[in-house]
Amino acid sequence: MVFLIIIIASFLLQMVLPWWLVIVISFATCGILGKTAKISFWHPFFAILCLWIGMALLKSIPNQHILATRIAEMLKVQFWPLVLLITGLLGGLVAGISGFCGYHFRKAMINLKTKA
Amino acid sequence: MNKIKALICIIVPITLAYVFNTKFGDTPPLLKFLNPYTGFWQNAEGNNIAANKKIELSGAIDKIDILFDDRMIPHVFAKNDHDLYYAQGYVTAMHRLWQMDFQTRFASGRLCEVVGKKAIEVDRYQRRMGMVYGAENSLKGMMENPKTSAMVLAYTEGINAYIASLSSASLPLEYKLLDFKPEKWTPINCAFLLKQMSGVLAMGSDEFYMTNILKKFGPEITKDLFPDYPFKESPIIPVGTKWDFKPLPIPQAPKEYIEMLTGNIQTKQKIEGIGSNNWAVNGDKTKSGAPILANDPHLDLSLPSIWYQIQLNAPGVNTYGVSLPGAPGVIIGFNQNIAWGVTNVAADVLDFYQIKFKDNKYQQYWFNNGWKNTTKRLEKIKVRGSADEIDTIYYTHQGPVVYLQKPSYGKAANIPVGNALRWIAHDKSNELMTFYHLNRGKNYADYRKALTFYTAPAQNFIFASADNDIAITPNGKYPLKWKNQGKFILDGTNPANDWQGWIPASQNPTVKNPPRNFVSSANQSSTDTTYPYYINWEFAPYERGQRINDRLSAMKNITVDSMSVLQSDSYSLTAENLLPYLLPLVTVNQLNANQKQAFNSVTSWNKYFDAESIGASIFDLWIKRLNDNIWKDEFTVADIPMRFPSRDRTVQLIQKEPNAKWFDNINTPQKETLKDLANEAFKFTYDSLERKFGPIGNTWNWGNVKNTNVPHLARIPGFGSKKLAIGGAKSTVNALSETNGPSWRMVIELGKNPKGHGVYPGGQSGNPGSPYYDNMIDTWAQGKLYDLLYLHSPEEKSDKIISHYKISKK
Repeated sequence: MVFLIIIIASFLLQMVLPWWLVIVISFATCGILGKTAKISFWHPFFAILCLWIGMALLKSIPNQHILATRIAEMLKVQFWPLVLLITGLLGGLVAGISGFCGYHFRKAMINLKTKA
Repeated sequence: MNKIKALICIIVPITLAYVFNTKFGDTPPLLKFLNPYTGFWQNAEGNNIAANKKIELSGAIDKIDILFDDRMIPHVFAKNDHDLYYAQGYVTAMHRLWQMDFQTRFASGRLCEVVGKKAIEVDRYQRRMGMVYGAENSLKGMMENPKTSAMVLAYTEGINAYIASLSSASLPLEYKLLDFKPEKWTPINCAFLLKQMSGVLAMGSDEFYMTNILKKFGPEITKDLFPDYPFKESPIIPVGTKWDFKPLPIPQAPKEYIEMLTGNIQTKQKIEGIGSNNWAVNGDKTKSGAPILANDPHLDLSLPSIWYQIQLNAPGVNTYGVSLPGAPGVIIGFNQNIAWGVTNVAADVLDFYQIKFKDNKYQQYWFNNGWKNTTKRLEKIKVRGSADEIDTIYYTHQGPVVYLQKPSYGKAANIPVGNALRWIAHDKSNELMTFYHLNRGKNYADYRKALTFYTAPAQNFIFASADNDIAITPNGKYPLKWKNQGKFILDGTNPANDWQGWIPASQNPTVKNPPRNFVSSANQSSTDTTYPYYINWEFAPYERGQRINDRLSAMKNITVDSMSVLQSDSYSLTAENLLPYLLPLVTVNQLNANQKQAFNSVTSWNKYFDAESIGASIFDLWIKRLNDNIWKDEFTVADIPMRFPSRDRTVQLIQKEPNAKWFDNINTPQKETLKDLANEAFKFTYDSLERKFGPIGNTWNWGNVKNTNVPHLARIPGFGSKKLAIGGAKSTVNALSETNGPSWRMVIELGKNPKGHGVYPGGQSGNPGSPYYDNMIDTWAQGKLYDLLYLHSPEEKSDKIISHYKISKK
């Protein structure tokens, strides 16, 4: 569920808003719906990893990876799929951490309320 | 505890967003750059091009059609001049926006704004040389003329219409990488771009070096080693051409004009590279009976390509050729009736004046027996990530005092400290008018008229018309000088050293339809010694010009193909001049087996700098080392920057003065001869090639040793071309060195309908993610040309057209 919401919301909203929207979406989704800390990290992680790798391939395949190859050379990684992987992993990681933070934020707020 | 936890859970995601959205040092903002929605992936262009596209733009007056052919070259059809240049601006920005922006920033000393402190010396240099001052004056010239001002304004409007259409996703790649945004184009940017051409082609200056040489060796040796006319020459205007005008009186040279100064930099060898070829033959020499014109301007090659091909069609004009991204019109090209091209004239239009300041406040300087006030110009340099810098530059009536202290910038090594710069590029001018008229020209008279508007950088304008006229004019605004004025640093206190007028444009050297049935130039001396005015004491070496003239004299039934072969000719006259004198000097019995093999490959070498030639690699390095062996001991002195005598003088020395004292190495007790130097140089060559490329074999091939490649404009790794194993060398017609060479090759056959052929190393698009970024580079490397598509109307059917933009008024 978390995975689907994040992937769909990110897919649509990024068309008009900057990349860091995935941080907001992951945080909010897991802050509301994240059942466990594990889910709150891994669902956003894989949602953005899949989305970004998919979207990048959508641009890169018709380009026959000309640009990805040049960027790989620029980044000194030589092999273009590594650029794709870095894109997916870094995006996923940021989303995962944000989801994880969202979940723990809710926990902290609930604890604060119950104490009060 | 929970409060802190909640706070951390908020801070961490915000920090992540900030860190990955910010540029640190040279690292781009990582996720802003990598994310597939707005990052670099969006710049990956596919092969599917939309066949039709309708665009509504508020700036268009009428309907505009832009047809793109299969190499993405735009063919613009407009109904008026405004729309023509508006569309040129739009489509050029579409393909080359970042390049235009970056080049303008470089020219105007504004690199620090986007790359930070590291470019500060570059920015200071550009400003202190008066680039901004010159562009401001140039802009006045462009704007005073209603035709060029309309041209520049429409072009600017078109660029801005494109910029307005950009989103963060469609921003050109380099903006994302360097993390900045395009700003609105302004007309002065066009002026900067044209000034930068002067910066590239007419900013060279040897007078500091020459003054030091004069001081060290005295006038006699200086005159002997740095003569005012070369030993071997084949001037542009054929020897014997009569001057049909009454020259103006030449100003008197002052009695004493040398005051000494020194600096503390190393001797630099004059770098040969900037140069070009052009020629035109009339119908008597061609197979078809129609004249053919060829041009290949040599520049420091880069990607995106320096030039941008375009066809411009509107009532009264239908021209095709290459434009400079950032300036309206076509610079080198053809139309229905005429073709034209340019090569650089090494005119001395840049002089240094030693200034005597009253005190270190620099407010007054001595001139004509009195104190005169300087003016102060403040240049504000914005620096990304640090405080702005204000640079103060003092101007005398001659121009800016470039440096008051020695700068730590390699490019400024030839600038004498405390000297004012008088440079033609500072003057008000309107070069665009020349191209406005050439684009519309119909005949020889139109060509002559167009040239009168031109100031700088001086160019050999070559011309051919369907009427079977051919002509060439080393053209520019030349100061009226006494002989050798500006060969050395000038005394800034004496009014006789100032520029005192101009050579009338009509008296610039020119020739029309000479008896030899061809005209040509390759940056060599404009004229023989009978021309009454002084343009410069030294031009580019003669070899390319001589080879072209030799070939054109011999050729008959010329076709486009044979012209194209000549453009790729790599025969070395330097080798022809030197090998017969040097080979007998090598003591063969003292060479080992491998060295003998190397020696044999030079002996049997056909003197062509072919990609597969080993002899060429050996000869090239051998001559370089020999040149050092001859001159380095005398001309490298700590604290006194000088230059070496020319190749022409060195050839003369080897051929005619084998016992000259210059062959002795003054740093050794024994007396060396040319033979000793030649043998040392040969062994050195062998050792250094072996060290770098292993035992003699295919790795020694000239194409491999030379390492030709086309780098990216900002030297971003991965964005340049691969290594190209191709022939050619400096001083051959195909003057291709490591990263300098023919930036555009063009051959035009005139006649009932013009037939154009051309190629440049790169492509139409400036986007490294486009298949059209470097698609022409292999054809260029093979020395082949494309047929250029010259259309007469947007309705003309051609299977070459792959896309059609219809622009209408919003």
